[in-house]
This record gives sequence, structure tokens and C-alpha cells, in this order.
Amino acid sequence: MTAAARPMASPRRSAAREFGSAVRTIMVKELRGRFRGRRAFVVLTIYLGLLALLAYGTYVLIAPTARQASQFGGAPNASASIGIGIFTVLSFFQLLLVSFIAPAFTTGAISLEREKQTLDLLISTPLRPGAIVVGKLLAALAYIGLMILAAIPISAIVFMYGGATVDDLIRQQVVLLVTALGLGAIGLFFSALIKRTQAATVLTYCAVLVLTIGTVLIWIFFSILAQRDAVGVTRRAPEQILWVNPALAMIDVVAGTEAGNVGGLNGLLGQITGADITNAGGGVTCNGNVCFQTDDKGNVIGPGSALPGAAVDLSSRPVGGVVVACPPDMPPNQCAANGGQPIAAVAQPQSAVGHFWPRYSISLAAIAVLATLFSMRLVVPAGMRFVFRRPRRQTAPPPAPGSVAKEPPASPAAPDVPADIATAEDST
Amino acid sequence: MSMALPPVIETRGLVKRYGDQIAVAGVDLVVGPAEIFGLVGPNGAGKTTMMKVLATLLAPTAGEARVCGISVMEDPIEVRRRIGYMPDFYGVYDDLRVWEYLDFFARCYGVSAERRAGMIGELLEIVGLADKRGAYVESLSRGMRQRLCLAHSLVHDPALLILDEPASGLDPRARVEMREILRELRGMGKTILVSSHILPELAEMCTSVGIIDRGQLLRAGSIRDIEVSLRAGAVLQVDLLGDETTIAGAETWLSNAPHVGDVLHGDVAAGLATRLEIPFDGDANDQAELLRSLIAAGYRVTGFHQATSDLEEIFLKVTGQDEEEGAA
Repeated sequence: MTAAARPMASPRRSAAREFGSAVRTIMVKELRGRFRGRRAFVVLTIYLGLLALLAYGTYVLIAPTARQASQFGGAPNASASIGIGIFTVLSFFQLLLVSFIAPAFTTGAISLEREKQTLDLLISTPLRPGAIVVGKLLAALAYIGLMILAAIPISAIVFMYGGATVDDLIRQQVVLLVTALGLGAIGLFFSALIKRTQAATVLTYCAVLVLTIGTVLIWIFFSILAQRDAVGVTRRAPEQILWVNPALAMIDVVAGTEAGNVGGLNGLLGQITGADITNAGGGVTCNGNVCFQTDDKGNVIGPGSALPGAAVDLSSRPVGGVVVACPPDMPPNQCAANGGQPIAAVAQPQSAVGHFWPRYSISLAAIAVLATLFSMRLVVPAGMRFVFRRPRRQTAPPPAPGSVAKEPPASPAAPDVPADIATAEDST
Repeated sequence: MSMALPPVIETRGLVKRYGDQIAVAGVDLVVGPAEIFGLVGPNGAGKTTMMKVLATLLAPTAGEARVCGISVMEDPIEVRRRIGYMPDFYGVYDDLRVWEYLDFFARCYGVSAERRAGMIGELLEIVGLADKRGAYVESLSRGMRQRLCLAHSLVHDPALLILDEPASGLDPRARVEMREILRELRGMGKTILVSSHILPELAEMCTSVGIIDRGQLLRAGSIRDIEVSLRAGAVLQVDLLGDETTIAGAETWLSNAPHVGDVLHGDVAAGLATRLEIPFDGDANDQAELLRSLIAAGYRVTGFHQATSDLEEIFLKVTGQDEEEGAA
């Protein structure tokens, strides 16, 4: 009856509060260790110094070319190209560093505790396994988050030059933070799964490579296959594979800065999603699945204006829906309603820019949640995995309610000191 | 609430297998409040496994284990609030200071901030680390770490302490210190389950011991009980002064004395004296009588004691006996 005296006011809220304070406990301990001494500050300083140096280096490299180009009227404006250049370089460099550092902070989170034999002490406390895992992840993310946020002023240099907007910077930050979260959680998962930190680290970086390079290779492989048996619509590999690719998400963010959505990165994204960026000025308007060529003001100019059966050049316009051929005297809208003769079917057009980074963010957040959940399960001692989910209603310890069916085989009636204490005669 | 309190530890038919190997083979154990119960057994006997089951770090294969009446399988979190556990091998977070280390564990157990502040000082006082409060855990000696780990297991004022080989690897001085601390804790009314593969170490502080071998609890009870139950096989050590003929005479004299078996010839030199070891199956009165008549017979006795008070021997005997029984 000793346990029943605990206050049970609102179990759900008090459980949440307990979880929160447990997470804080772990975080405080982890961060105390991490910020001990000079190491954390030195690392941060070096990181920021590198970024600043890189921003300056980019400026030095780009500035002359950009000025020249703008003089001859090529690029819209020298200042903007400098800004875009710096933003691009900083974004990718930060992404690279975060991809390396985030897993490094978590691959030892659990396995190091195992190796240093501190895990048993930790697990034998009433801390929920979930709180331990989440606390460890958040503590690692707190430091990486600090690095990412501390670099904002350096990225903000681009505002002096223009080209990238605050929105671009926010997107960049979201992608970086979500990368840290996702890769950190993957590291944590392997740390919980595998006994040795070394092996966990290797596997984590393998997983990072799969996300960054593996997905691209798989996508290319698929697109080769897809092209081979391409009939009509399915000319592309499933782009969903690339939703978890950090590099592509950052390309997407950076592509958002390209003036007028024209540039190499947009073209690349367009190829992947199937949207034709070169037509962005004019292009295609679709009514249901029926599409018409339009001018840059959205007026329908074809193919209704073309002669029936006339060749519509689709090779350079892999846009969506069904392109129909109409009689020349019929207005295009009527043509759509009457259903003209389909002459080609092509993929649905999508705006390529801003397509990947939100999907990437959601995917990585989902990966992080899954990885954390699995880690929780792995931290619980073997055989007790399911115990922790059971709701505890009755805290008072009643005699076992038949759940333990097995009776002890020996001396069932003697709960006291075993009755078979040998007598002196046995030994001689 | 005049209900009888449940025993602090209660296991029934506790079994733990690792694959084919059986680590604990059906142990029934009851330890009451404010006892210091020593688990003794050779390495691999199942002590650590039992303790881990009680500390909710291992799920038993079969049987039941309860701490303060709470099943370790049904409500491990509640059990953990009632036990302080010190494993046989453990590490410390070496990037923390001593007080931070204790503070961390106190937080883990949900000890409130006001209580933490005072309690850490008290605990450090108990384990004799008060002057190391601000030192890094890294800088502590092994004995100090051991005591720190003991302090960590006390942060939430548990009813039961589970200490797995708390004195292993310590030098004699640190051992004595550890023992003193455990005595003090017993004085505070804690129930302590402590393990060792060295019986004498436990004998000095335990109220009762259990001898465990190959997963089975062979004997349990107070040391005295166990000793008495094994007295029949006792060996007396008699140290005598004198030349060879005197010793030879004493040997013959002793073999004819009551309760004495064949004299095991003692080539053991005990200082200037010669030590004779004689099997003896009498009780304490008989022993006293033997000594009296030995002196009355004119022998110069410098030492007379019972070899089986050496608990090692009890231990070997009990575990050895089991082997024979197992073979038969």
C-alpha cells in the first residue's frame, strides 16, 4: 500500500511533466559534459571562421566576373549574382558540415554508454527509455543547432548584395536544421542498435551516403529503366526517392534565388520533376487533363491555333496533360469541352522550385521520429520491452493476478529460507 | 495500515536462461527489512544475474521476483524507485564533477531541487568524499569511484540497496572503508543485498548469507547457522611447542582423544610451533574439554582454533558437496 499514497491528480499531465523533466535531466548532463572546457567553443569558432573565410573567398572569385557580365548586359545585376554566389556556397558548405557533424554527435550517444558501462546505471533509474533517447538527441541537436544559428549572420552577408531574400535564408535554415535532426536521429538509432560505437559510426555514415548519393544513383537507375519501356506518360523515375536527399533539397532552396527562375539548377530540378522550366515564361495551361499552349500572359495560343494534325513540338516541351488538336476555326475552350483529338500525352507540369525542400523536410522529420521510436525500444532491457507501455492503474501491489501461472517447481510452500538447509550429518 | 509489510526481496522459482545456459535455476529467496543479505558464490554462479533481475535490468525466464511486494516485471519503474543498484562493473561519466554526477542521478530519480542541494552534501559526507565535491569524477581513485557509485545509489533514499561486488578490486584499506559505510547504512535501516565471491568479506557485515552456485541457492541463513550446520567437518588447528618426539607424542595423544579423527600431519610451521590439524566432530564444549586436557597432559599449546571458522572452507565445502551430489 506504500505506493498508493502518491498523488494521482491528473495522470496525463503529470506524466507529460515527468517526461519533460526527465528529458531536461539528460540534456543538462549531456550539455554539461559537452561544453566542458574549451573544446565546444573552439569547434564553434573554427566553424564560423571557415564559413566567413569561404564567404570572402567566394566574393573574391565571383566579383570580377559578375561585374564584367553585368557590364555587357548578361546577368541582371552584378550585386545580385555575388549575393547568390555567396548564398549558394555557404548553403552547400553548411549542409556538408552538418551532414558530417550531426551523426558524429549521436553515434556514441547510447553505444558509448554501453562501452563505458554507464548504461546500466542510467537504465536502472526510473527514467523512461523515451526520455533518455529524446534527451540525448535534443542535447546533440542543441549544439548543432547552435552552430547553424550562429552562422546566420554570415549567411546574412548576402543581404548586402541582394539576390537572396529572407525567405531564402529561412528555407536554408529549415533544411539545415531538419538535416541535423534526421541524420542525428539516424546516428542515435545505430548507436542504440549496435553495441560498438565504431560500427555504429560506420553504419551511420553509410546511411548518410545512401541518402545523399545512393538515392541519386537509384533514381538514375530507375530513370534508365523507365525510359526504356516508356510509353506516353511515364517517362520519369519516381522522384519520391529523392525526397530524402539533402543535397537536392538544398539545390531546391538555392534555385529559389535564381532570377526569373532561369538557371542551371532550375533546369536540373525541372528535369527531375518533369516541369519544363524553359517554358516558364509562357508554357501550358491545363484544364483537367487537357492542356493548351499559352503565351506568357496565360492566353491560349495553341495547339488550337495550329492546324489539325500539325506537328506540335513536344520534344522541347515535356509538359503535362493531353495536348489536343482542334479545328482551326474552333475556339480553344470549346475544343476542350468537345474533346479534340489527343495527339500527345505528356506528364503533369509542376513548378520545380520549392518542390523538394518541403517534402524533404517532412520526410526527414518522419525518419527522425521513426528512428527515435526504434531507439527507445532498443534501450529497454531485453525481454522487458513491452512492460513500459502498460498503463499503470493499480499502483498497490496485489498478489499476482494469475499472470504468473508458473508455480515454482521446488518447495512451493516455503517462501522463507529454503527448508533444505543441510544437516551436519550430510557432509561426512 | 497494520498490514504486515511484504518482504523487501522475494523471489519464487526464479529462472534465467541465456540460450542453452542456465544462469539462475529456480531460486527462492526472501530477505526481510533491515537485513544485510550476502550472496556468495564462485564467478558465474548467478549472483550478478539475480541482482540484475531484481534491478529490473533483465527479464526472468520464469518465476517471480518482487521488491517490496512489487513485481519487477509488472511495474519496473516503481521497483526502480525503491532500489539503489551498484553493478559489478560500471563506468562513470568522467566529464562531470562529483556533485554534478550525484545531481544528475538525483534528477533522474525525480528528487526535488531543494532536497538535492542538501542531500548531495550529506551523501558525500557518508561516503567520505565531502572534500571531493568539485573534483572531476575522472580524477577519483578506484576506491573513491566505488564510494561515489554507492552514493549514487542512495540519492533517492531507497529501501533496498543492491550492491554487486562492492569491494572487488579495492585495496584492504578501501575495503575496510566500504565495510564501515555499509554498516552505517544498515544503521540507517536500509536493506542491503550484497554479493561477493569472498565469504569472509561478507561474514563481517552480513546478518545472513546465501551460498549460490550454478544458479542454485545451496544454503541460506545466518552465518552462524551455516557454520553450525557444517561443524561436523570442522578441522582444529593446534599449535604446539616442542621437539619432534614431543610432537609425535601429542599426535598419538590427540588421536586417542574423543571426537578426534586421524591427525593430519601438520608440517605447517606456525612461528616456533608446529601446527597439527585434526578433524573434530564435537561441539564447542567438547572443544574446550579437549583443550583443557591437552594442557593438563603437559603439552605447551600456543594456538588452538577451528579452521572452519575460515569461511572460505565452508564455502568450498558447500559448493563441493553440491558437486558430489550432482555427480551421484
